[in-house]
Order: sequence, then structure tokens, then C-alpha cells
Amino acid sequence: MPSLKQITTKIKSVRSTRRIMGAMKLIAAVRLQKAQAALMAYRPYSDAYRDVVLNVAALSESEDHPLLRVPEEKTNLHVLFFTSDRGLCGSFNSALIRNMQRYIEEQNEVFGNIKLSFVGRRGRDYFSRSGVGTGKYYTGVNERNSRKFSEELAAALTEEFRVGESDEVVLAYNHFVSAISQKMTFERLLPLSAKETDDGGGESSSDYIFEPEKERIIGLILPKYVQVRIERAINESLTSEHAARMTAMENATSNADEVIAKLTLLFNKTRQAIITTELMDIVNGTEAQRKGGNE
Amino acid sequence: MAEKLRLKIITPEKLVFDGEVEELVAPGQMGEFGVLPGHVPFLSVLFPGRLRFKTVESGENTLIIHGGLADVKDDTVSILTDQSENPAEVDVAAARKDAEAFQRELDDLQDAGDSEREELDRKLRIARARAGE
Repeated sequence: MPSLKQITTKIKSVRSTRRIMGAMKLIAAVRLQKAQAALMAYRPYSDAYRDVVLNVAALSESEDHPLLRVPEEKTNLHVLFFTSDRGLCGSFNSALIRNMQRYIEEQNEVFGNIKLSFVGRRGRDYFSRSGVGTGKYYTGVNERNSRKFSEELAAALTEEFRVGESDEVVLAYNHFVSAISQKMTFERLLPLSAKETDDGGGESSSDYIFEPEKERIIGLILPKYVQVRIERAINESLTSEHAARMTAMENATSNADEVIAKLTLLFNKTRQAIITTELMDIVNGTEAQRKGGNE
Repeated sequence: MAEKLRLKIITPEKLVFDGEVEELVAPGQMGEFGVLPGHVPFLSVLFPGRLRFKTVESGENTLIIHGGLADVKDDTVSILTDQSENPAEVDVAAARKDAEAFQRELDDLQDAGDSEREELDRKLRIARARAGE
């Protein structure tokens, strides 16, 4: 049985851990609130942009712009994988990595060569050891610099696709559903083709007017659209990360409470046991003395 | 055909406006254009400039937009722009000064690439729109 001193030390250490986790939970909650507001504002913009682009793409031929080109052969797949830089967010990263592995296995049957690029340290740390071809790596992406990063990424990925180094570019990130639910999503970024969107804007398409002419518009909006999609993915991923961290820290705090309760109970029991033993000693002592005096 | 147009002005930060308007005038790259209900499907790239629209409740409205896209379809106009500003909140004197500075810079620009020139031209247009020129 541990001594009282040992138990008190343990309770103290659990308490201080709990305090840290409680603080982390509060920080995550504030960040989540901010990120969520930004994401909710960004979604209508990126959705509207997607509608416009798909509309234009549906009216275009794949020769009209390099980004609309549909490669004849699927050889090189480039996946941009969004994870977090830091841990302590529950199964956020491990779930992403697990899904990613399964995805790679599936795609290995289609593509000859798969390359991974990373936003976030955790994904890179894992896959740099596992021998999958790795490309670019970005870290320190947050809400304030997401625009800049997405522009840089969009330029790099677009160029790579244009020169034919990749035949397909996919974004893999956690889609934010709610504070307690995030869903991993694989989203094809390039080639942009309207073929998948079961001919939504088919009617009266021929009398669409473009200013300036269609080819110029495509050249202007497609690269921008790629950036918008990437920025959206960054926002989704960051918001999900904060949500996951908040939930994880909340669970950790309540676990700590449980541990503290158990330890306190043990402390009281131990203390009671010690008192009982001492009392028995005293009683035995006096008994012995009294017996001795009577003789 | 509906009597009214639905106008949506969307930026990455927020939905600036979503409501019915009677007409609007937007700064297209090929010149200003107006949209009335019943317009044919239309997609235009916008220059930075002033967007004017008329609503039943508040009459004439003006917004400064920093370029973007206008998509007209089924009597719905979606304006996608990086940023929009209320003209009443702009420091006109400062904007005018900016415009002059950009103009000088653009005049001095001799052997710069197209993208640099475009960027400066964009800044100049934004400054001019803010100054109300």
C-alpha cells in the first residue's frame, strides 16, 4: 500500500496536468470559434466560385486551357495531405494517416507513381519514414497566413500539372462537420473537369455571354479557383484540428477528474487504515499494561 | 420571368449583400455594364471599381469592390470579389494620394514584366475607386 505522502504527490501532479489541459481546452475553444466563423464565411465564397468555374468548364473543351486537360494516362498522382503541426488533438492525425494509407493502397492499383506533399508536420513525420514518394512540405500554416500559403501551393501545383509532371492532383483533408465530427475528404483538384458534375448547367448553355472572351476568362479564373480550393481546404483542416483538440482536452480533463476522485478515495482509506492501526496499538498497549498491573 | 433580380455580393470574409434589387451597374473589364431582370446568362471579369445597385428599400447603393467576377444566371447575380468597402468609410484624401503615387509609379515603369504592370494597374484602379474618381 502506498504511503500518504506518495498519494498526495500523485494527486498534486494529476491536478496540475488537469489545469494545463483545462487551459488548452479553453484556448482550443476560442480558436475553434474564430476559425469556424471564418470558415462559415469562406464556404459561400468558394462554393459560388466552384459553381461559376464548373459552369464555364462545362461549356469548354479540354483543349481550351491547360488546367482542363484530361491526361490520357494516369501515371502520376500527387496528393496534398493536410494534418496538424502539433499533437494533443486526440485521434485527429492518426485517423487521417490511417485513411491516407488505405487510399494509397487503393490508388496504387490505378497510378504507377504516387507523390505526397504535406501541409502540417504530423503527416510528413509519418510518411517520410514509410517510403512513399514525398514532395513539398509546409509547416506553420495558420489562419493568418493561409492566403499566402494557398497562393504559393496553387502556383506550384498548377505549374506541375501544366508541364505534365502530375496527371491528377488530390486534396486530402478533414472536412469540418461540427465541433464533434470531422470527416476525411479526398477531393480532386486537377484536372478541373465538369464531367463529374452530371451535366448540371446543360440547358441554354450556348447563349452564355462571356466578357472578355471565354478563353481569357478561363485563363483568369481557373488559377484563382485552384487557390480558393486550397485555401478552403486549409480552413477546413484548421477548424477541424481546433475542434478535435477541444474534444480531446475535454475528455482528458474529465478523465483527470476521475483519477483525482479515485486517488482521494484511496488517500482517505489509507489514512483511516493508519489511524485504525495506531488505535489498535494504543489499545493493545494499555491492555497489556493493565494486565501487568493486576498481577 | 421574375420582376426582380437577386444580388449576392460575396467576399472570402463575408456575405456582404444578399437581396433583391431592381437594377445594377458593375465595372466590367470591357466597360461598365448594367443588369436588369431578364438578362441573358452572362459572365464577366470585373475591374476594381464601384458597383451601383438600386433596391426598393434603400434606393441607390454604392460599394467599392476590389475586382472579381460577376455571374448572371436565372435572374441571380453573384458578385465574387476579394474585398468590398463602403464608400462612406473611405478616407478619400488618402486614397487620392495613393492614386497619384501609383499613377507616377506606373508612368515610371519602363521595362517591368506584364504581371508587375498588371498588379500596379490593379492597385491604381482600387485607389481611384476609393477616391471616387
